[in-house]
Amino acid sequence: MTIIAADVNVEALVIFSIVLAITLVVTYWASKRMTGATVFWAAGRSISGVQNGLAISGDYLSAASFLGIAGLIFIFGFDGFLYSVGFLVAFLTVMFLLAERMRNAGKYTIADVLSFRLRERPARCAAALGTLSVAAFYLIAQMVGAGVLIQALVGIDFSLAVLITGVMMLCYVIFGGMLATTWVQIIKAVLLMIAITVMSLFVLERVGFNPIELFNRAADNVTDESTFSLGPGTFLASPIDTLSLGVALVLGTAGLPHILMRFFTVPDAKAARSSVVWAIFIIGTFYVLTTFVGFGARALLGQGGVEAAGSGGNLAAPNLAQFLGGGEGTFGGDLFLAVVAAVAFATILAVVAGLVLSASGAVAHDIWSNVIRKGRDSEHEEVLVARIAAASIGAIAIAIAIIGGPGLNVSFMVGLAFAVAASANFPALLLALSWKRFNTAGAVTGVLFGVLSSIILVIISPKVWPGPDAEGGLLSFYDLANPGIISIPLGFIGCWLGTMLSTERGNERNFSELHVRSETGLGSEKAGILVEAARPEKRAQVPVP
Amino acid sequence: MSTPEQRVDWDAIEQSPEFKELVAARRRFVLPATIFFLAWYIGFILLAGYAPDFMAESVYEGLTVGYCLALTQFVMVFTLGYLYLRRSDKVYDPLAARVVQQATGHGAVPPPSPDGATGPTGPAEPEASR
Repeated sequence: MTIIAADVNVEALVIFSIVLAITLVVTYWASKRMTGATVFWAAGRSISGVQNGLAISGDYLSAASFLGIAGLIFIFGFDGFLYSVGFLVAFLTVMFLLAERMRNAGKYTIADVLSFRLRERPARCAAALGTLSVAAFYLIAQMVGAGVLIQALVGIDFSLAVLITGVMMLCYVIFGGMLATTWVQIIKAVLLMIAITVMSLFVLERVGFNPIELFNRAADNVTDESTFSLGPGTFLASPIDTLSLGVALVLGTAGLPHILMRFFTVPDAKAARSSVVWAIFIIGTFYVLTTFVGFGARALLGQGGVEAAGSGGNLAAPNLAQFLGGGEGTFGGDLFLAVVAAVAFATILAVVAGLVLSASGAVAHDIWSNVIRKGRDSEHEEVLVARIAAASIGAIAIAIAIIGGPGLNVSFMVGLAFAVAASANFPALLLALSWKRFNTAGAVTGVLFGVLSSIILVIISPKVWPGPDAEGGLLSFYDLANPGIISIPLGFIGCWLGTMLSTERGNERNFSELHVRSETGLGSEKAGILVEAARPEKRAQVPVP
Repeated sequence: MSTPEQRVDWDAIEQSPEFKELVAARRRFVLPATIFFLAWYIGFILLAGYAPDFMAESVYEGLTVGYCLALTQFVMVFTLGYLYLRRSDKVYDPLAARVVQQATGHGAVPPPSPDGATGPTGPAEPEASR
């Protein structure tokens, strides 16, 4: 096995190393301030609105957003942009329905919000199932993507690339918890925004700063075999499937555990609100600039660049950077390529760290601390278990990615993560916060319906289960690649059905407490300062009369 | 040892006119805004799916209807986000502060913290040390 391929990119390796060194310094700084569970899970609730807005952007914008969407626009044109719109509009769902109420009602994980008014152990188990499903699918997709990208961009072997990514991610989470993860995400967001802005300016400079000219040059630069179009329908051919995808994106973001967890890191609901607005501004700007990169790649690289851009066009943006810097073999070209490669790497690291942290929250805070130990464990023990959980989850993800190899089919996994988030986590959270009648059985049924229907529908979909003639899925009448349009209603129906069929009573009192607390912040977890070592007490349970 | 939460009458707060006003005020904005943005977004997706030719039409020398409509989505997100932020500062936060003040001012909970009951994070927590 060759560890270092012949065409290793030295400039990229150097810039990689600089980025890694900076993040490790940040992690060391954070580890010195690790005073307990509130710092580990919620960065001591010391993150400001602006900082959290940047961190949300860093947590959310994966390599799929940066390289993937630029590549889709390069190859298919307008359809790639449809993803961006969905990813952005999603933040209105987060802002209007969840962000502030999550901050007021919760502590460290989304299960805290569910178990506030529902029976603790089943509610936490259900929420942990939803969190772990989303994190697992998302994480494996990111790890495999990281290996493929770094192998292509830097020239180091796939397995080594996955290993480096995984070890770095675990360093941040285990030693620095949410505090280090937050700052890695902030650094990544700043790097990513600088990179995409500079690239867009270079592209626009080529067309006299006239976007219209850019569209025309892009539309002209096609051949007979091109799939590129300024109109829709080239990539997302089935309207129902597109709708299903779009709804899953817009509702799924409000169920992504690693995004929702970020709202526990700010001092109060006002900061949670302003952080969403900052995130909207940063992410929106990013996606508009992505179109300049994507259309720019089409206008400047043309159909000749399609093969070099690899599957899905993931390498279109790095190749464009190389071209803008002066072309292959020139110093400027190599430098630009190296910078974009390093930014892509930082992008992946920030996302996977957030995912592992949220998954370890489900294992350590929800399952271990509150279900198995029933809240009798010490804060020290909870953080220790969290570190062990993070290490185990990370090791499993690394192993799956390396064993599966670069050929592992991950194309459906991010979509599946969003489907589970939209169908299981989102309905349960929304109803727990707003429906008085909602009860434990409803939450458990809803999460089970959402998780199972998403997974089953994806397994029988054409992407995963090629029929005998490799056309269509397992069932001839079902050919949706994105399950959202069926699984999201099933999630809500599950919540309703479970609630109605159960005879459980006596949650009303807790609901009024949750209702008041989530709307006003009365009694919510306090803001902290980092050096403070005060241990917040476990939330007192109000006895049900 | 009883905690302050046990002494807060949550039902009474929930039934208070101040709290009802807060919930109603927020709902007056959030509900229509949510319906509007979902409708606008789903309409856009459906147009992309069922009317690709219309979306590919050129508005101005290669700037397509689709790209313009996509940009309206961005404008919508920025505008609704800004409006919500402004309304929160002007309307919801003062209303929430009033609910907290009412709840903590009637002796139902222990003494307010030094910084007073002005913020949305009320003082009814034992570990209110800063």
